[in-house]
Amino acid sequence: MPFVSAAEWTPPKSVQVVVIGSGAGGAVAAARLAAAGFEVVVLEEGGHYQKRNFRMREDEAFPQLYQESGTRATKDLGIAILQGRAVGGSTVINWTTSFRTPDLVLDHWQKVHGVQEFGAAELRPHFEAVEARLNIQPIPLEESNRNNRLLWDGCEKLGYSIEVTKRNVKNCFRSGYCGMGCPVDAKQSMLVTYLPEAVEHGATVVYRCRVDRLRTDGDRVVAIECSELSEAGPTGRQLSFAAERVVLAGGAINTPAVLLRSGLGDAFTGRRTFLHPVIATSARFREPVQAFYGAPQSVASHHFAHRGERAGFFLEAAPAHPMMLALAATGFGEAHRSTMVELPQLTAHLAIAIDGFSPEETGGTVELRPSGAPVLDYVLPPRIWEALQEGLRTLVRVDLAAGAEWVQTGHDPALRISSEGALASLEDHPLGPGKVAVFSAHVMGGAMVGEVGRSVVRSGDLRHHRISNLHVCDGSIFPTSLGVNPQETIYGIAHLVSERWTQHWKS
Amino acid sequence: MDRRAFLQRGLVGGAILAASACTLHAWPVQDRYQPQGNLQCLDPRTFVVLASIAARTVQDPVADPVAIAHAVDRTIALSAPEAASELRQLLNLFESGLAGLLLDGRLRPFTRLTPDRQDQVLAAWRDSRLVLRRAGYTALRKLTLAAHYASPTTWEGVGYPGPPELVEG
Ligand SMILES: Cc1cc2nc3c(=O)[nH]c(=O)nc-3n(C[C@H](O)[C@H](O)[C@H](O)COP(=O)(O)OP(=O)(O)OC[C@H]3O[C@@H](n4cnc5c(N)ncnc54)[C@H](O)[C@@H]3O)c2cc1C
Ligand code: SF4
Repeated sequence: MPFVSAAEWTPPKSVQVVVIGSGAGGAVAAARLAAAGFEVVVLEEGGHYQKRNFRMREDEAFPQLYQESGTRATKDLGIAILQGRAVGGSTVINWTTSFRTPDLVLDHWQKVHGVQEFGAAELRPHFEAVEARLNIQPIPLEESNRNNRLLWDGCEKLGYSIEVTKRNVKNCFRSGYCGMGCPVDAKQSMLVTYLPEAVEHGATVVYRCRVDRLRTDGDRVVAIECSELSEAGPTGRQLSFAAERVVLAGGAINTPAVLLRSGLGDAFTGRRTFLHPVIATSARFREPVQAFYGAPQSVASHHFAHRGERAGFFLEAAPAHPMMLALAATGFGEAHRSTMVELPQLTAHLAIAIDGFSPEETGGTVELRPSGAPVLDYVLPPRIWEALQEGLRTLVRVDLAAGAEWVQTGHDPALRISSEGALASLEDHPLGPGKVAVFSAHVMGGAMVGEVGRSVVRSGDLRHHRISNLHVCDGSIFPTSLGVNPQETIYGIAHLVSERWTQHWKS
Repeated sequence: MDRRAFLQRGLVGGAILAASACTLHAWPVQDRYQPQGNLQCLDPRTFVVLASIAARTVQDPVADPVAIAHAVDRTIALSAPEAASELRQLLNLFESGLAGLLLDGRLRPFTRLTPDRQDQVLAAWRDSRLVLRRAGYTALRKLTLAAHYASPTTWEGVGYPGPPELVEG
């Protein structure tokens, strides 16, 4: 019984290795540990949906595949947060853009946060292995959809550097529906790669099984306490069993929440959660753009990633289906409708702020609500608002340079800018919480790696500083954001650390 | 600060909330937009308020405020358990005549205002100097608009041809 729902599963008394979460970090770790001969059980709160379930409809995909049905947001509702919740985690619904971790980021982690043994040279062979396994390859520019192509053209006209991205796909027919689950298994997500591999090596993946807390005694986890879920929520049945080792990989926000619910909170757990906060433009072109079809992301500009003393940002495109546009478009009533009816002519371009690299950028804090559900309290600091403001100005200029008739911002009410001369009007509309639409699809940090007394898990093997049989292996270990899309960094780190575990744990 | 604290502290204080809660039942809500089935999170009263808001936020010839309010009710049921009570509180506050009087100079409950006045109330929340009031507006706006445009009934009107047909093989 390789993939089994909690309702059909009777836990053994004790398991050798429990992996909590089946996303980017959990799946790679599970596959590697299972292949090394460990008895592995993966616990996943989401459902087991497969290609036949992926019908490319927003009304089905969001309740099935996203945390809180896609309504997750920061505590003051200022930032909407997209995160996955299914067998395969966020990799089932991500947009496939793949970057290795920039060397500068790894150096920063080492110099500023005392992270050891995760240098560029140590990670390189693991990136290579993951890239081969997931078929991570550049997408030729000719295969970009018009939404991405216009971002490219605008950047070129203004002399901003821009490159094609790599994607983890095989036989992709460029449908545009990566965000709703790939209907043909072209996307090399965890659902169709490392998880089946784990299962081939004897692992069991238990879905609709939420870990509520870890029971600890002294420096050890002694029991895993879970709730059986149905599509509608907890069924009331609780499961509890022992594990020799626990790998926590619930993703940022959810991993620190498990630690907090387990009474393992301290001054670092849940802190320094970063979001790559995103601001978007919708630009109208006379010829149809159809940003709902084609590979969702195929170009990226890091021209403004390093802005000296100021926080950097990078530019990418996003898919735009009706519900996504309805959320991105501000205003209400006729004003909102006037944007919606332009859907086929609109681009969706993003400026993504790089948070966490200055002492002032301390990120958000994960808190628990009375029910135990997490919520992220993150009020953006002025430096990040400045980066978003500059990112927005840049996007408007890029869209106009590409030939847009007008460019609409995420202010509420929205601004429509149709000439360079009108750009100055942006200065009259300062950004701020609740004044402009901001979202995130890259949640990172909250259980950071580093030195004792400054972090949650230690360098080298990502072991919890106080609990000797608990390890963390997902995006929550990052001490900062990355400045590039995060999935490949998580794969690479998981691939490396699971090799170390195999060596340590066998001896 | 959670949304509950926002309602009590962020606005004019807990007194309004308490007082408005008393006056709520003195004013029957507009009886259009009754629920057409079981509710998971909302009660019939807050359902009507939400549907009335949807009728203003979503301007689409095919929009059905009752269907939208049901869809939001189902969405919130899949969210954190606290979300349901927070949404009900927010809707009660939105509806409240007394809170409306203090905040926007209106005494009538939201559901009994003319459409133009309802739009003014929405705009007043949107343009408020209080972050948390803007957040309330954003939540209601996004929930209703997303619930509507998730539905395939909207596709034609926005020029979206829908997903491609997959050929087996
Ligand atoms: C819409 C979208 C588009 C994206 N596009 C890209 C992209 O193009 N490129 C890129 O690099 N990145 C992208 N990302 C981000 C990337 O997918 C994530 O950063 C990455 O998958 C995170 O990996 P993770 O292992 O930390 O967590 P996840 O992949 O999110 O997996 C965590 C899993 O743990 C489960 N879980 C959580 N708590 C519990 C619990 N208590 N019990 C049981 N299970 C639990 C969750 O349900 C989830 O399935 C995108 C994300 C989204 C949402
Ligand atoms: S664009 Fe490619 S990878 Fe994405 S859903 Fe379509 S076929 Fe799958």
